[in-house]
Amino acid sequence: MPTLESLPHVLPEVALAVTAAALFVLEALWQPRGRARRVGFPLLALGGLLAALLFLVASPSSAEPRFFGGLLTQDPFSTFVRGVAIVATALAVGLALGSPSLPSNRRVEYHGLLVLLALGMCLLSSAGHLLMIYVAIEIVSLTSYLLAGFDDRGGRSAEAGLKYVLFGGVASGVMLFGFSLLFGLFGDLSLSGLGQALAHSTTLSTGAGRWATLLALVFVLAGLGFKIAAVPFHMWCPDVYEGAPTPFTALLSVGPKAAGFAVLLRFGTGLWPELATDAAAATSALPWLLLLGVMSTVTMTVGNLAAIWQDNLKRLLAYSSIAHAGYMLMGVVAGGREGPGAVAVYLAVYLIMNIGAFAVVSAVDRSAHSEDIGVYHGLGRRAPLLALAMAVFLLSLTGLPPTAGFVGKLYLFASLIHHGGFWYVLLAVVGVLNSVVSLYFYARVLRAMFLESAAGEPAPVSLANSAAALAVVLAVPTLALGIFWQPLAAIANFSGSLF
Amino acid sequence: MAQVGLQHFLVVAALLFALGIVCVVTRRNAVAVLIGIELLLNAAGINVVAFARYGGNLLAGSAFALFIIALAAAEAVVGLALIFAIHRRLRSVDLEQTETLKG
Amino acid sequence: MDAVVLTGGRLLTLLVFMPSVAGALCALSRSSRAAAVWALLGSGVPLILGAAAVCGFDASAAGFQWVERVDWIPSLGISYHMGVDGVSWPLVLLTLLLTFLSLVYSIGRIQNATRLYYASFLWLETGLMGVFCALDMILFFVFWEWVLIPMYFIIGYWGGARRIYAALKFFLYTMLGSAFMLVALLVTAHLYHQATGAWSFDWADWVAIRDTIDPNLQLWLFSAFAFSFAIKVPAWPFHTWLPDAHTEAPTAGSVILAGVLLKMGAYGFLRFGLPLFPEGAVQAAPVMVGLGLAGILLGAAASYVQTDLKKLVAYSSVSHMGFVVLGIFSFTLEGAAGATIQMVNHGLSTGALFLMVGIIYERTHKRGVTDFGGLAKTMPLYATVSVILVLSSVGLPGLNGFVGEFLVIAGAMKARPLYAFVSALGVILAAVYLLSMVRKVFWGEANANLHGLSDLTWRETAVFLPLLLFIVVIGVYPAPFLEVSEGALKAILEGVAP
Repeated sequence: MPTLESLPHVLPEVALAVTAAALFVLEALWQPRGRARRVGFPLLALGGLLAALLFLVASPSSAEPRFFGGLLTQDPFSTFVRGVAIVATALAVGLALGSPSLPSNRRVEYHGLLVLLALGMCLLSSAGHLLMIYVAIEIVSLTSYLLAGFDDRGGRSAEAGLKYVLFGGVASGVMLFGFSLLFGLFGDLSLSGLGQALAHSTTLSTGAGRWATLLALVFVLAGLGFKIAAVPFHMWCPDVYEGAPTPFTALLSVGPKAAGFAVLLRFGTGLWPELATDAAAATSALPWLLLLGVMSTVTMTVGNLAAIWQDNLKRLLAYSSIAHAGYMLMGVVAGGREGPGAVAVYLAVYLIMNIGAFAVVSAVDRSAHSEDIGVYHGLGRRAPLLALAMAVFLLSLTGLPPTAGFVGKLYLFASLIHHGGFWYVLLAVVGVLNSVVSLYFYARVLRAMFLESAAGEPAPVSLANSAAALAVVLAVPTLALGIFWQPLAAIANFSGSLF
Repeated sequence: MAQVGLQHFLVVAALLFALGIVCVVTRRNAVAVLIGIELLLNAAGINVVAFARYGGNLLAGSAFALFIIALAAAEAVVGLALIFAIHRRLRSVDLEQTETLKG
Repeated sequence: MDAVVLTGGRLLTLLVFMPSVAGALCALSRSSRAAAVWALLGSGVPLILGAAAVCGFDASAAGFQWVERVDWIPSLGISYHMGVDGVSWPLVLLTLLLTFLSLVYSIGRIQNATRLYYASFLWLETGLMGVFCALDMILFFVFWEWVLIPMYFIIGYWGGARRIYAALKFFLYTMLGSAFMLVALLVTAHLYHQATGAWSFDWADWVAIRDTIDPNLQLWLFSAFAFSFAIKVPAWPFHTWLPDAHTEAPTAGSVILAGVLLKMGAYGFLRFGLPLFPEGAVQAAPVMVGLGLAGILLGAAASYVQTDLKKLVAYSSVSHMGFVVLGIFSFTLEGAAGATIQMVNHGLSTGALFLMVGIIYERTHKRGVTDFGGLAKTMPLYATVSVILVLSSVGLPGLNGFVGEFLVIAGAMKARPLYAFVSALGVILAAVYLLSMVRKVFWGEANANLHGLSDLTWRETAVFLPLLLFIVVIGVYPAPFLEVSEGALKAILEGVAP
């Protein structure tokens, strides 16, 4: 579709870009003080995000899914992931209200960067072209690096930002080299063009060609694996999560991951269009599914096992988020219509429960100034509502009914098993066993909150802040969607298709 | 003297890529790691331009290369800014010394 | 007055969810006294409703009764489908009775977070009843896992010295089991989809396609389900969580654990293992019988060497539940009927035995077998009740334990005489360890510091009365209790009977 006609379809992105620009320009020209600064700018950011969400919901359907000459592809899945990215950003704005981890004189930049990050995530989830993927990943990465280093209270945050930028730089460099190889091998940069070239090319019939293609794919996986924090490209994750300001960590654990999964899925279906119908036959020449399956197994196992030893809640949740990337990779392996549908359901569920858990961490941090598991002792007595919300999130992250996390896992396992075949069922078994392992460390937090009593006189935990309010509010859908998940079923049904 | 062809470019790019990886893995100085990353990006850039020139898809490849140059600069800026912030605090850019996080 | 008509055909929903609502009210109430009232109402009213419905239950009908069915997640064929038959109905009544008695017993004995204690038991009751009533596999699974959460807190918060360890062990073991069950469940759903082209998680739908499943695959699926159930029963060698959990749980928690939670596993075999994968069950039967026999003998042997009364009773559960497994996998009507009634018997007598241990521990803070002596003199009423309970557990003719064990052994005899011989050995062993315990605790030289112990209070006696009543009635006149489940058991055994 030519450029001008494409514009109505990217109105959400336009709204985000305008909002981000407005935030930066207003800050520079007007330099407001006091109330306008504390409340006005977050409200402006929220308004922009809301407008983007409205544009997204109202976006016209189109027979032709490719825009701007194939740079962007829009399908139900990308529409859904853009929604997830925008909502996650809005929640991060809410979490940041009054957060002590953000320097008060740079609040505006923070919001501007968040909105810019949302723009990057939206572009990434609908990118259908290697150039667009690269540009979008860089937008997401560059803003993330800055946001991770935003907290100037100690050295931790800047160090997290530096680690992130170095790991991220290497990952995107390697991915870019993979892109260049793909371009050389198949002479095209758009995913659909690559898919056609792959189907008709003779490159794969020679041994050297196959190895070169495989190498390129592994390089690409390194870059995408970095974005979703999959093992072995996860080393940055715990450090960055721990060092970054908590409101941003909450977003980081969900938004870029969602966009990363969107691009991973699209990359697969772009290169092998038959992946949606017969994955095994489609990729018979290259071990794409095997790579993903092994990555999924290793990711969830390493994530869960490493989480057992963590005493810092943010690190624990970081390893848990690595494990969850492993679970979601199962849906990518499953393929078909069910796989992306299951990934979409899981992303929706994960958005709610993981941001909820980080909201609790943020709320406790505001009173206790620590994320150590020790400050959670006796939380059940000191702040019953907050502890109850945390319990709901933890049980949901474990995947126990009746919580939304159970439904998410149910869809993932079902999509995998529905695909049939011994290896798929084996992967599902690895997945459920991992859930059992994860129970061990989630239950440690439960135990600290409810079964242990606090030593000495701990500071009271205040509920009168945005983080605590958000945690309690998010606990409601976590439970409600576990009992009645027709909305999630609708998501699975809606976003199962990629073009 | 032999004609310079696609292979020569690819060999140079591959060498640059390898050097970049070695640099990233072995150097403990943050600035050096950043330089290694630049090597990786430029290796990809050379590849793309060479493929564009010899593969026929000149426009797409050249555009890609331009974007790589621009974004590499942006990445260097952000990286250097963060290195600055660390340096102000620790008076060092040695990655071994940034050990507040368990890593 | 027909209780079912009274509830507008929603009897089971009311029975299952009333306790939860009361539990929420408990947790939110202002004083522990008000919470106690809610606890008694929340467990008492369903008990009365259930008792009133007993006459309305048609024992001669083969299918499910009081069925309720509402679409839940139509796109996956998941529905809210509840119903009871002759196998589940006695267990529902057992749950109602034991939860109510546990709460009556507990009132005034718990000082810590009393309101949440009551609430946990009420929420637990919902899960337990749901497991026995659910006829949709996802619904069943949800209830199955739901049980874990309140039980984890009951053991972990109000339990003994090693409560946290025991609670986690219980949680992890059971979840490990259910993990495999979840995969098997989804594989079966996939097979159903293959066979019919539609999604369904309905129990009856799955039974209808069981013949299309390859026998080899059936064995795998059965094994996955059986693993989960065997942990819950617990069958040897998956029982190691049980002594810890039972010993560390508060008294009422042990009662529910032994009385009801263990039945979930045995019920699972009867409701799901056998009917859904008959060929798999047949192939696995020798192994399952072996586990049952091992449980009977090793449980008894372990009981014999225990010096802690609570552990002794806990290990005796392993032995008694071994009979249940043996009865089920003898694939005879006698065996299955024996297993069903043994489940109820074990719930009554072992539940009551845990109460006895709890009562003496509360008064003396001792639980060792050798800490006591001559209790028959100091606490005559307590001793009388205990001896009746022990005799029921031993299987004395005229009390309920005899009926169950006799039928199981008869069933085993029909299947293979060797089984009957080995299991009869278990009965003798039970007599040895239980009676030697009685001798040490109740007779002999009275321990000097045990003078002045008060006997059972009126409320404690009131708790035991209904249990004793059933123990005697089932022992003397078991016919009506056996008739209830006969039709349902015949249907269950249809696929596996030789």
